[in-house]
Amino acid sequence: MSEEKNLFLDPAGQRRLVDALARGASRRDVLRLMLSMGIMASAAGGLLAFATEAHAQTPRRGGRIRAALGSISTADTLDPAKGSNGTDYTRHNMLYSGLTQLDGSLAPQLALAEEIRNDKATVWTFKLRKGVTFHDGSPLTPADVVYSLNRHKDAATGSKVKTVADQLAEVKASGPDEVQVRLAAANADLPVILAATHFLIVKDGTRDFSTAANGTGPYKLKEFTPGVRTVGTRNPNYWKPGRPYLDEVELIGIQDEPARMNALLSGDVQMAIQVDPRSVGRVRSTPGYAVLETKSGLYTDLVMRQDAAPTNNPDFVLAMKYLIDREQAKNAVFRGFAVVANDQPIPPSHRYYFAGLPQRPYDVDKAKFHLKKANVSGSMPVVASAAANGSIEMGVLMQQSAQKAGINLPVNRVPADGYWSNHWMKHPLFFGNINPRPSADQLFTQFFKSDAPWNECGWKNPQFDQLVLAARAEPDDAKRKQLYGDMQVLIHEKCGLGIPVFISFLEGYSTKVKGLGSIPIGGFMGFMFAEHVWLDG
Amino acid sequence: MAEKALAARLILHRVGLGVLTLLIVSAVIFTITNLLPGDAAQEALGQSATAETVAALRAQYGLDKPAPVRYASWLSGLATGNLGQSFTASMPVRDLIATRLPKSLLLAAVTAAVSVPIALAMGILAAMWRGGALDRVLSLATISMVAVPEFLVATIAVLVFAVKLRWFPALSNAVDIRDAGQFVRTYAMPVLTLCFVVIAQMARMTRAAVIDQLGASYVEMAVLKGAKPARVALRHALPNAIGPIANAVALSLSYLLGGVVIVETIFNYPGLASLMVDAVTNRDMPVVQACAMIFCFAYLLLVLAADLVAILSNPRLRHR
Amino acid sequence: MDIARSGWRTAASLPMAGRVGLFFVLLWLAIALFGPSLAPHDVGAVVSPDVFAPLSAAYPLGTDYLGRDMLSRILYAGRFTIGLALVAALAASVTGTTLALIAATAGGWVDEVTSRLMDAFISIPSKMLALVMVAAFGSSVGLLILTAALSYTPGAFRIARSLAVNVKTLEYVQAARARGERLAYIAGVEILPNMVNPMLADFGLRFVFVVLLLSGMSFLGLGVQPPDADLGSLVRENIGGLFEGAPAVVMPAIAIATLTVSVNLLIDALSGRATRASES
Repeated sequence: MSEEKNLFLDPAGQRRLVDALARGASRRDVLRLMLSMGIMASAAGGLLAFATEAHAQTPRRGGRIRAALGSISTADTLDPAKGSNGTDYTRHNMLYSGLTQLDGSLAPQLALAEEIRNDKATVWTFKLRKGVTFHDGSPLTPADVVYSLNRHKDAATGSKVKTVADQLAEVKASGPDEVQVRLAAANADLPVILAATHFLIVKDGTRDFSTAANGTGPYKLKEFTPGVRTVGTRNPNYWKPGRPYLDEVELIGIQDEPARMNALLSGDVQMAIQVDPRSVGRVRSTPGYAVLETKSGLYTDLVMRQDAAPTNNPDFVLAMKYLIDREQAKNAVFRGFAVVANDQPIPPSHRYYFAGLPQRPYDVDKAKFHLKKANVSGSMPVVASAAANGSIEMGVLMQQSAQKAGINLPVNRVPADGYWSNHWMKHPLFFGNINPRPSADQLFTQFFKSDAPWNECGWKNPQFDQLVLAARAEPDDAKRKQLYGDMQVLIHEKCGLGIPVFISFLEGYSTKVKGLGSIPIGGFMGFMFAEHVWLDG
Repeated sequence: MAEKALAARLILHRVGLGVLTLLIVSAVIFTITNLLPGDAAQEALGQSATAETVAALRAQYGLDKPAPVRYASWLSGLATGNLGQSFTASMPVRDLIATRLPKSLLLAAVTAAVSVPIALAMGILAAMWRGGALDRVLSLATISMVAVPEFLVATIAVLVFAVKLRWFPALSNAVDIRDAGQFVRTYAMPVLTLCFVVIAQMARMTRAAVIDQLGASYVEMAVLKGAKPARVALRHALPNAIGPIANAVALSLSYLLGGVVIVETIFNYPGLASLMVDAVTNRDMPVVQACAMIFCFAYLLLVLAADLVAILSNPRLRHR
Repeated sequence: MDIARSGWRTAASLPMAGRVGLFFVLLWLAIALFGPSLAPHDVGAVVSPDVFAPLSAAYPLGTDYLGRDMLSRILYAGRFTIGLALVAALAASVTGTTLALIAATAGGWVDEVTSRLMDAFISIPSKMLALVMVAAFGSSVGLLILTAALSYTPGAFRIARSLAVNVKTLEYVQAARARGERLAYIAGVEILPNMVNPMLADFGLRFVFVVLLLSGMSFLGLGVQPPDADLGSLVRENIGGLFEGAPAVVMPAIAIATLTVSVNLLIDALSGRATRASES
């Protein structure tokens, strides 16, 4: 949400406009008021729109809300490096700040860094904002940033982003408020990478994250009980003036979705994440409550390992892709809160989305044809789990389609815990689940390159690898978009995975909560809601 | 006097055997959970695990040592009162449990206080007027209560009392209880749900045991002598039926500590059952072991109490 | 023929409640045996774009959360629930009673060791045991039966043993011991018949517990593989329709209730008859 607008009015004039609206002035009255203040008629319309919006959206300070997230366990942590789920990310965004921050279009905005310069995308210099203090009163210094970034490289930290941090060949203080990062290889996406919650800045030398959190974030830690709740109180010295609006925020986790909805609708919590598509009607029809849908790049994909038979047979892969009934997945599984996808991971809202790729249809006959060509029949179990959104339902539906094509796909449901360590990428045919990534380069590098750590289907396409490297270094945006388009076509045609739909985030909230927008990296405004929302009177 | 000496001998006997049972439980739990795929290090790192980071974390947790070694060191720690360090919460297991155990005990105690009298009353009344309308109604009621899945009872209760009527909160976080009224409001629904589950077994066993006694010859004697049904049931049959009744009560109550994970999850009640399920999910072995020990210990205590009650009440068993 | 006739006579002599119980038990047995072949649709077929649809001519019990026919799903689920619960409860009751008789009559260290082992297993919460077993060994029907039986045998043992011990002290048992009868005879002829009533009631409860364990497991995300389901997981997966009172969640719950209530009504009636017979 950007507050900078081009205004022709001085602050006093702005106040008069907003006051007029607060007093119930009509559009005509306000227009007359503006003309009397000497504003040209053509500009008046735009100003009016702003003033109306400003009146409706004037944040109110004070109040306390309780937000219900999905998962809660004794693994809850105050260490940003160990964040592993939405509850952790939300907590960390409340307590800490980072060098950069993502906005609604997933572009990096300046946060603790007030200026970023780079030399050939290899040597990056971050000029730190002045006057920022930690919760304990000490000032933010380059040493804190250096420590925060370097600690990920130490295996003893147990950081989730160690492999990413290994790209930061050298991090050092280059001035009284400057930090310089030299990368192992050029990467224009560094500001985006550093916006991840794992890279939030902690105080230099902090090793013990068990009971206290000393950060520069909008809230100070008041109470932390792993597996129960987290409470934060407003940080009066937060570096964003006027923020945060709320006095206190309490985070709890309610794993059972019906219980979460009941907690929302009974007033126990004011915000609830991950609304089941079937609960949306009920929440929306309850007076005083609303549901926010955020289209995103989240997807659950059907993966066919390229290092096992028969999933490595290109005809089998094509057959599986034709057996995916995307409209059915969108409607039956997600009740319309999804966007049909085309077997490639870039969603339509992304700026590098290639619209020219023809949509692959649901075609049982073509599937039958390819299955016969691949000489595959009989039974081929699909591994699915609640850990991958909607995978069990999609698996069951695909089983029905597959029967029509003459092949049996029994669903092997495994427990959600341990899915990622024990089943993901360990069976020939299984479902995966990929969270949205802010940059296409990050997505392709981490999941699709031949040597990617999470190359789900294990495909190796040298042409694709070349394109990734070329695009990373390409300065011309139009050319970059073209390269990314080629990559999408390659994945659609040759990669061993089928992506049925892009899943929307759904959250329920009381209409007293204002300022809740969408940052499609995750639910609850990309887990950053705490500094944006306020409570209406 | 003879009863006291017998009781004392029994207690000592049981303490010794109790230790044996605890050992067996710890061995069984350790073995079974070691069969689980994955370990705490892999769980902690999840999708972002690499061979290197997993190995480092494993060494930190001591998971690189072979199973018997780990078990032995855990046992020796237990002997000195050291329950170890939780892998996922990075705090001593004892502290973690100390936050949850009182809550579990409180919920169990309140549920017991409500359910046991009701169950006993239902069972005795049904037995006294067996075959009659009251008996049939009570039997139907108890079985219907048990038949409904726990999560359904809980969800319906929340829908009716929290969402529609707004009498009670949907969550029983149990963190800021200031007065008795709030206590009742917080605990009402979890206790109600749990009662549905435990009353049935106690009531039915009470009824069956009392009816059984009512068929014995000494009861016939009492009836022939002209005693009223209530007197017969309470003074003659009931004391002899206490053994099986106490057993059923003990079994039901031991369920209230470890089997209530559904209620704890739905009402967000921070108890031991959800802690243990959580720990299994995260492969946090020290916590799983500790919880298993606690549940076993509580069960043994309850069963000892039940057996003591049985012996002290059944004249024939006193002279074993 | 004789069995049929004596069976018919038994049925006719039951009180009203017993007859109702018998009727529903037979109905459910029929569903377990023939249900899937009577189902109008396949268990996993998505037949309607409307989820949680109300009762209608096309879908007599409404549709579920994906738009599948509930009548078909309940008919299939009946088989899983009844089959699993029956086998597991029988296994638990029989094993528990047998072990209890052995322990009670043999006494001494046999009794102690068995009791300790059983105590060890009882104190492990059944949902926890199920969680670990399924995570370790997968979700096959055989494993689910084994897990349920393992969970409930110790309970049956404990109750049976306490009954047996009680019975052991009665006069005619003492008399048999004094006569020098063998343990097996004492167990089988003197003790067991006097335990049958409460143990029968206990079996009824075991059956209900297994049905509930299955639905509790569905809450934890475990159970038979989709699209198959048991009645408890049908309730669980359709819980979202509870607010609108959708048949998808109400019907399976009623199904579970009729099944468990009828089993216990029948057992109560049978054991009532046995008591009256022994009294006359």
